[in-house]
Amino acid sequence: MTDNNFVLTISDLRFKYADRYRRSSFELVVDEFAPKPSVCTAVMGENGSGKTTLGKLVAGILRPASGCIFYNGVDISDLKLGEIGRQVGYLFQEPSRQIFASKPLDEIAFPLELRGIDKEEARTRAKKLLDEFELSHIINNTTFTLSRGEKQRLAIAAAMIVNPKYFVLDEPTTGLDKQRRKILAKTLKKMQENGMGILLISHDMEFVEAMEAEIRTMKGGRLLDANKS
Amino acid sequence: MQTRVKPDPRVIFALVFGTSSFAIIIREDVVAVLGLLVLTLTFAMMLGVKLGRLFKRLKRLWQVLILVTLLRSFFAPSGIVLLALWDVPLLTTGGLAIGLLVSLRLIIFIIGASMFTVYPARGLIQAMVQMKMPYEIAYMVSIGLRFVPLFAEQLRDSLTALQLRGVVIEELKLRKRLSIYTYLLLPAIVSGLQQAKELAMSMEMRAFRAMPKRTSYFKLHFSKWDALMLFGVVALCAVIGYAVFNYNFYEVIMMEILEVYY
Ligand SMILES: Nc1ncnc2c1ncn2[C@@H]1O[C@H](COP(=O)(O)OP(=O)(O)O)[C@@H](O)[C@H]1O
Ligand SMILES: [Mg+2]
Repeated sequence: MTDNNFVLTISDLRFKYADRYRRSSFELVVDEFAPKPSVCTAVMGENGSGKTTLGKLVAGILRPASGCIFYNGVDISDLKLGEIGRQVGYLFQEPSRQIFASKPLDEIAFPLELRGIDKEEARTRAKKLLDEFELSHIINNTTFTLSRGEKQRLAIAAAMIVNPKYFVLDEPTTGLDKQRRKILAKTLKKMQENGMGILLISHDMEFVEAMEAEIRTMKGGRLLDANKS
Repeated sequence: MQTRVKPDPRVIFALVFGTSSFAIIIREDVVAVLGLLVLTLTFAMMLGVKLGRLFKRLKRLWQVLILVTLLRSFFAPSGIVLLALWDVPLLTTGGLAIGLLVSLRLIIFIIGASMFTVYPARGLIQAMVQMKMPYEIAYMVSIGLRFVPLFAEQLRDSLTALQLRGVVIEELKLRKRLSIYTYLLLPAIVSGLQQAKELAMSMEMRAFRAMPKRTSYFKLHFSKWDALMLFGVVALCAVIGYAVFNYNFYEVIMMEILEVYY
């Protein structure tokens, strides 16, 4: 039993992309979504069904047209993205999208420095984290030349530095080999045991099973009923 | 058969070239520039430019107006002093006129540029190519156009990622906030360039520049209707040119007003 205490709830959520060029008819509608805090929830579904959109809404990157998202009962619509980031971590579907520094160490240390942590201390913590994620060997590379899998691991490591209470991962296993997937599942499970909630967006059935996740299916912008999926 | 509503892009090239040239040529005649502005705006509306977005873009220009007016009034005072601190003029009619003139000119440029947005990029490139511009240059322009949104997107994502690591940008001191932008700028440029490089590579793979001239199925056809409109644009420019060089509209209108009064 884990002492997981982060509760995510969504009610009457509606979202549409403000599309300047094409009239996209996509609309995300989630009347009610309250994943169990103690288990990992996996959102599956075909391409374009709205999984990424849902993940971005949960992490506050996109803001709903109507409806509410609550963290532990607190409506997040008034929270700044930075304040959300102190509670919820997010892994972009495309890892290079979220890597902003040219050095792996800076990628992890810079946000800490901005939050007022001493430069030396931030770098020490960043080094330790890179070590944990077996990324020490790329410490002197530039981030642009990393392989996709390495970028992925760096992005996950970087998101972990703030100790999020909830972690949204958008297709985290893309670009990882079998061994790495196993390691990632182990890492995530360990963090889950330490009290972190997980929303996993994935196609990877094997990985979803390894995470012992409760599966929800998305289709055409809607979450299907839990028993049907 | 598709009904033609928009003229050939080349007509718009001529129109924008004409209006922006006059915007630069006309000096010290606020009324004439204002007339030119109304004319340009009318054309933009006829083309179906989205006015809401245009006005949003123009909203920032009032800062230019204030800045130029103040600088002009202070450093090169002319006309009647409207506001002064002791002996130093802060606001003069001359300064205000120049400030207005510069802002109006910028507005005309921006409206002119907005007219191109109603065409797909492919049509504009083809127009440049068919106007005998080397196609490498035409394609460079189009890739450049594509690079800017890529770059902006990367920068936006970087900022999002940073905030999701618990950095509340709104709470940071100005100096730290600026350091973020200098820090993120270089990686964003590199990643934008990387994507542009991939694009270039894929173009080379498809034998871009293998032949001295690139042919295209897509051709713009200059119809009689287009020719008529081009003629109209040229004639209009001639009329404006004649008027601008022969009258000072500001004076003419002032005379009219004075005559009414006396
Ligand atoms: N920025 C955007 N602007 C407009 N439409 C978008 C945007 N991003 C995604 N979409 C559309 O929204 C739908 C859902 O996309 P997404 O959430 O990325 O699906 P998934 O992650 O399940 O593959 C798709 O039809 C996609 O085309
Ligand atoms: Mg997706």
